[in-house]
Amino acid sequence: MKKIIFYFIIASLVFGETKKWDAHSAYLLPQKRWEMGLFQPFRYGYSESIEYSVHPLWFFVMPNLSIKKSQSDFAGFTSASQYKMVYPTPFLNMIAKEGTMGIIAPEFRMPPMLGLSASWLMSKTIFPFVSPYSLIGLDLTLNVGLDLGVTFGDLDTRSTIDIPLVYHRLGVYYNKWGIHTGLDVQKNISEKIGVLVDFDLRLLPGLAEVQIDPDASKLMGEYSLEHKFLLIWNKSENFRVLTGYKFVMGEYPYGSDMRLLPYIPMAETWVPIIEFQWARKKR
Amino acid sequence: MKIIISTLGVLLILGCDPFVTEFEDSSDAVMYGANSKSDAAYDSGDVKVVTWNIRFGIAQFPFFGDSCGDDVILDDDTIEQNMAAIADSLNAMDADIVLLQEVDVSSKRTGYMDQVQYLLDNTNLNYGCYASMWKADFIPSDGIGRIDAGNAILSKYKLTDAERIQLRLRTDQDGLTQYFYLRRNIVKAKIPALTQGAQDFYAVDIHATAFATDDTKQQHIDKYVETLAEIHDGGDLFVTGGDLNSVPPGSSTDFCESDMCAGEDFHTDEAEEYHKEGSYFENFDGEPDILLPLYDTYDAAIDSASYNLPEHFTHAPSTSLIDDTTATMYDRKLDYLFTNGTWDSSSGRTHQAAWELSDHLPVSAVLNLGGE
Repeated sequence: MKKIIFYFIIASLVFGETKKWDAHSAYLLPQKRWEMGLFQPFRYGYSESIEYSVHPLWFFVMPNLSIKKSQSDFAGFTSASQYKMVYPTPFLNMIAKEGTMGIIAPEFRMPPMLGLSASWLMSKTIFPFVSPYSLIGLDLTLNVGLDLGVTFGDLDTRSTIDIPLVYHRLGVYYNKWGIHTGLDVQKNISEKIGVLVDFDLRLLPGLAEVQIDPDASKLMGEYSLEHKFLLIWNKSENFRVLTGYKFVMGEYPYGSDMRLLPYIPMAETWVPIIEFQWARKKR
Repeated sequence: MKIIISTLGVLLILGCDPFVTEFEDSSDAVMYGANSKSDAAYDSGDVKVVTWNIRFGIAQFPFFGDSCGDDVILDDDTIEQNMAAIADSLNAMDADIVLLQEVDVSSKRTGYMDQVQYLLDNTNLNYGCYASMWKADFIPSDGIGRIDAGNAILSKYKLTDAERIQLRLRTDQDGLTQYFYLRRNIVKAKIPALTQGAQDFYAVDIHATAFATDDTKQQHIDKYVETLAEIHDGGDLFVTGGDLNSVPPGSSTDFCESDMCAGEDFHTDEAEEYHKEGSYFENFDGEPDILLPLYDTYDAAIDSASYNLPEHFTHAPSTSLIDDTTATMYDRKLDYLFTNGTWDSSSGRTHQAAWELSDHLPVSAVLNLGGE
């Protein structure tokens, strides 16, 4: 334990690069700056080398915390590590009920479960002068990480929520572990306008083999590939608006599926993401 | 920019399947074939027909939706055992044509088993067609999740021209409930091998509304009668049947007391609903006699002299009890077979020994073909 604490103290001394509006990169928020969005977590630059984030609206039903920590540059990339912890049990038990919004069948009680995730992020600006219109080139971020799902009790394999985005995130608890990796590319196309394109792959290794085991029955879903495209309008350094889409495809217990999001069921149509984000610097 | 627009276009097409599938008034049914077909040549002689609401293979499981139970998802092993028992029963009946209701083909509640394919692969039936009555990516209620359930026709002989005929939706529900609710149908298919001279041969399968308190059931029966009349008036032959969710003329029409669950209250001024949905058969004028046009026009497998006899009851909710320990196996008739041809006299049977395999019982009869 002393070694772990010592490591954290030493590592905290490594100051990383900071950057605004770059939640998924290896850059940390400038110290004392916070950012949050309608659908994004609240992020806070605690120091030049540590950033905290939490989903405030979810926190009371699904306690969660994420820490991003700068690391020494690696192969010319700005690097950071990120650690996430989530306790989804209260929320899952809230939606395991009869009637409307009974997402999980009421006969199932979800045991205490802890989700742990560790990621390594590497960011770099490439092609800094691609064309006369390029302002700062392409911001590239690679990430890879390990997810662990720790359950303290019996988790019934029939209690999965078999919908895109959700199934593979909760699949970690049924499979006990998973791997995620991704690529983010961001580019400013004018002083105020930028675009973000990302691809994320989630793997639940061994889940298909589990399915073949008759004792564990219908569990599948080895992978999920998510892609997002966002057009960003930076009104100021304290407010921006994003719009775009998210596409997800993967293997589910019922087979392959793909879906363009957000999707409005009753209108049977896709609508663009509309996201507002705010930021301030604490004095 | 062109690449982005093209990509978005492709994603829109691939990623925007309806969340809940709605249907045209008439659409193609989904065709099936057994992976290994048995001898499928029709060599004259009678044709045995069965109708059976198999309750998606959950047997007497206390499912929340149609009994006093509060469970939703049965374990895979039990479903497979139940489906094996249903397949064994169908093999023992040796039917040529089977009209099924409440068959799951990709539903969370039954482990995504394709029950149409399972029955084709485990019986002497070779061909099938399927029409969904409830198809959604996700039902956000009671943990139902993904669902695809409906009616199916299975046959030893090849099916063609399979059509799904939409029945009117319930009008006693709010828009949100109706959007996520069942879309009942009639499924109709031609069986060329059974053509009699100039007469084409059709099989027609229906599952009418169970819980509507408006006139939806009348609309469903009217559409059914109209569909059969079109075949009959065209000079063709049909066998038909299904779960009509209607009692025969002269039957008791009020099962609220016997179907009542613990904590429920009916037939009192304090009751939230005076009658229990699905247990009362006088919701509108004429409902008790709603099947008369069928009995008056066509040959019934269980005729009017017998249809109210206990040995022809086909249904009781799976949680109904006579006393604390004894299940009510059947207490009403809801399942029927008709033809505009002629059933072999006394061939109509209600297979009450199969009561443990569903909350409905199979009804069978032998069609006299070629005047034999």
